[in-house]
Amino acid sequence: MKFIDTHQDQWHLAGGEDGPIQQPAPRANLLLTLEQWHAVRAAWPAGLATGVIVPNTVDVETLARDLPRLALVVLQFPKWTDGRAYTQARLLRSRYRFRGEIRATGEVLVDMMQLLQRTGFDAVALRGDQKIESARRALGFFPGHYQGDVNQPQPVFSRDTGAEVAAHAAKLKHDAEAFAGQGI
Amino acid sequence: MYAYTDFDRQFVRARAAQFRDQLERNLSGELGDDEFRPLRLQNGWYVQRHAPMLRIAVPYGELSARQLRQLAVIAREFDRGYGHFTTRQNLQFNWIPLPKAADVMDRLADVDMHGIQTSGNCIRNITSDALVGIAADEIVDARPYCEILRQWSTLHPEFAFLPRKFKIAVSGAKEDRAAIAWHDIGLQLLKNEAGVVGFKVLVGGGMGRTPVIGSVASEFVPWQQILVFIEAIVRVYNRYGRRDNLYKARIKILVKAEGQKFFDAVEAEFRHILQDDAEGGAHLIPQAEFDRVAAHFVRPAGVAPITTAVERAGEHTDQPIAYTRWLERNVHAHQVPGYRAVTLSLKRAGQAPGDATAEQMDAAAELSERFSHGELRVTHDQNLLLPWVKESELRLLWQAARDASFATPNIGFLTDMINCPGGDFCALANARSIPVAAAITERFDDLDTLYDIGDIDLHISGCINSCGHHHSGHIGILGVDKDGSEWYQVTLGGSDGSTISGTAIPGKVIGPSFAADEVPDVLEAVIDTYRRERQSGELFIDTVRRIGLPPFKTAADAQRRLTARAE
Repeated sequence: MKFIDTHQDQWHLAGGEDGPIQQPAPRANLLLTLEQWHAVRAAWPAGLATGVIVPNTVDVETLARDLPRLALVVLQFPKWTDGRAYTQARLLRSRYRFRGEIRATGEVLVDMMQLLQRTGFDAVALRGDQKIESARRALGFFPGHYQGDVNQPQPVFSRDTGAEVAAHAAKLKHDAEAFAGQGI
Repeated sequence: MYAYTDFDRQFVRARAAQFRDQLERNLSGELGDDEFRPLRLQNGWYVQRHAPMLRIAVPYGELSARQLRQLAVIAREFDRGYGHFTTRQNLQFNWIPLPKAADVMDRLADVDMHGIQTSGNCIRNITSDALVGIAADEIVDARPYCEILRQWSTLHPEFAFLPRKFKIAVSGAKEDRAAIAWHDIGLQLLKNEAGVVGFKVLVGGGMGRTPVIGSVASEFVPWQQILVFIEAIVRVYNRYGRRDNLYKARIKILVKAEGQKFFDAVEAEFRHILQDDAEGGAHLIPQAEFDRVAAHFVRPAGVAPITTAVERAGEHTDQPIAYTRWLERNVHAHQVPGYRAVTLSLKRAGQAPGDATAEQMDAAAELSERFSHGELRVTHDQNLLLPWVKESELRLLWQAARDASFATPNIGFLTDMINCPGGDFCALANARSIPVAAAITERFDDLDTLYDIGDIDLHISGCINSCGHHHSGHIGILGVDKDGSEWYQVTLGGSDGSTISGTAIPGKVIGPSFAADEVPDVLEAVIDTYRRERQSGELFIDTVRRIGLPPFKTAADAQRRLTARAE
C-alpha cells in the first residue's frame, strides 16, 4: 500500500484561479474530474499519464472503455462509513481488469486499511490526523481471510491454510520478540 | 457442532488483537469516540444506558456446554452475574466496563467465540431454526450451509459498511421456525423435482418503522451457487441502497422502490460475477468443502435410533400433572426415533424473558452434559434447548430441570413471550418492556388459564426498532414515547410464518396507545374476547382472522382510563 503525501504528490488537479477549468490542456499527470474527462476524452492524446476522480455515486461500468487510457482512478469516501467505493474498486479490478493505481481519498482512516487493500486499492491519502504507523499495523493482524478478494481470489476452502497459520504464528512470535527487545 | 480449525482459531484471536489495538488507540485519544463507534459495533460493543452492552454471536444458535460455562465465567467476573438471550440467538451482557472489553474478547476467543458483526451496518450473525439438524420435519440440514455462509460473510471487505444492517436467516424444514420472510435475506432449503438441493431466496423482509415481508428473488438457486447469488444481492444493495435517510436505508426499501428492476439487477450481477469476473467462480462451493463442513454436523457419537419401547408422554396415569404438562409443552418431536428435543424455559416469574444468571448458565451446561451430549441451542423465542435427549431420560431431565428453574411448562403460551431489554437497558428504547412483561406474567400466572388460552405469540418491543418482533406477534406490544412518558401500541394478527401463525404478515394496530398500567387489562380483555368468541379448536390467531379486529378493539377500548383522548 502506497501512502500519499499530498504535498509531494505528482498528480495535480486541472484547476485555475476560479476553480476547475472546463477543458484543461493535455499535460502528463493531470488529475481530472469526471466532467473534465468527459469534456476532453475525445481529443485527449494517447500515452499521457492521466487520472480521473470518480464520485462514489458513479457506476464504474460507464468508465469501462476509458480504463486502458487511465493511469489513476481516485475513489472517494465522503464519509468513511459510506462503503460504496469498496464495490467500485472491486469491480474496477475484478471485472474491468484495471491495472492502474486506485487511490482512496476523503475521510480515509487507519481502520479502513484492510478493506481498502482487499478490494483493490493500492494507494491511500490518509486524512491528515491519521498515523501511518497505525495504518501499517492495521494491515497485519490477520493470517488470511475467509472469502476471496481482489488480491487473493480464492476463499479459505480453496487454499492451504496450514501455511498461512504457520506464517502468521511466526510473525506473532517475531513481533513479540521485537517488542521484548525494546527493553520494556 | 462445528469445530474450529487452526485457521478459525487464529482468525478469532487476530480479531481480538485488532480490537485491542483499536480500544487502546481509543483510550489513548488517538482514535476518537465517533470513529471508534462503528468499529466497536462490529465487534458487538454498544454503549447503552448504564454501560456498554456486549452482544456475543452464537452462530445459528449452536452452543456447547464449554462455551456456556465460559459465558457464565464472563457474567460473574465482568458483568453483574447474568446475561440475556436474544431473538437472533445471541447473548448480551449489560454491565461490562469498556476498558475491560479487550480482555473479554480474549476470554471469548478461548472458547471459539466472538462478537464479530453482531452489530453495525454489515452482514449480521446468521440465524436458523432452533431444531435445525434434529427436526422431525427437516428437508435438509441447514447447518453446513449456515457455517459456510458464516465464514463467507465474516469480515467481508466489500460489505463491511453497507447502508444499514443486513440479516440472513436459513430454514431447512417444512415449517418455517426462523421467520425467514422477516429478514433482509431469507433462505429456504428445499429439494427440486430431481432431488437436487437448493434455496428459495427471499429478499427485502424487515421490521422497524416499515414492516415488509420478503419477496421471492429466486425460486431455486442450486446450493453450489448460493454465495454468488447472495454476493449479487448485497452488491446491488451496497451500490444503490439509500444512505440519505437512516429509516429508508434497509434493503426492503430498495426492493419496494425498484420492484422488478431490483430483481433484474440482481440477476444481471449474478451473471456478471460468473461470466466476467476474474476467478468469478471462486465462490462456487465445491462438493469437497461441503463435505468437510457437513462432517462436523453428524449426530453425536452414540446417538442412534432407539426402537425398544419406552415410557411415552401420557402413557402412565401415575404421572404427575406437572410432568405431563412439561412433556406436552417443552418436549418436541425429533428426527431420531427414541430422542426428543427439550426446551429449557427462560420465561418465569421474577426474571426478564430470555435472561439467565451465571448459575443458571452453569446449570444448563450441566444438564446438557448429562442429557444432551454437551450441546445446546439458543431459540428464536429466547429459550435454551437441549437437542439430543433420550426419551427414556425425560423424567430424570424433568426433575433436574425443575430443580434448576427451567421446567416452566409454558412453551408456546402467552407467558413464553418474546421481549427486548427495552428502556431499562437499551439507549434506543422509547419505553420499558421488562415491567410490561413482568406485569403480564403476574396477571397470567395460572397455568390452567394459560392452557385454556393455548398457543399464542406475544411479542413486545420497547421501540420501533422491533427487537422484540412486535410486528410478527399474534399480539404485538410496541413501546412509544409521547411527551416524555411511556405508552404502548397494541397490534393483533401478526405472523412470523410458523405453521400455526400462517403466512408471515405484520399485525394491525387496534387504536391509540395505552398507558403502561392499562396494558395487562387490555391484554386480558383481548384474551377474554377470544375465549368468548372462539369456535371449537380455534387458536387465538384463528379467531382474530375470522372475526376481525373490531370486537377486540371494543374490548380493549373499554379498558382505557388515561388515554380516552384523540391522538
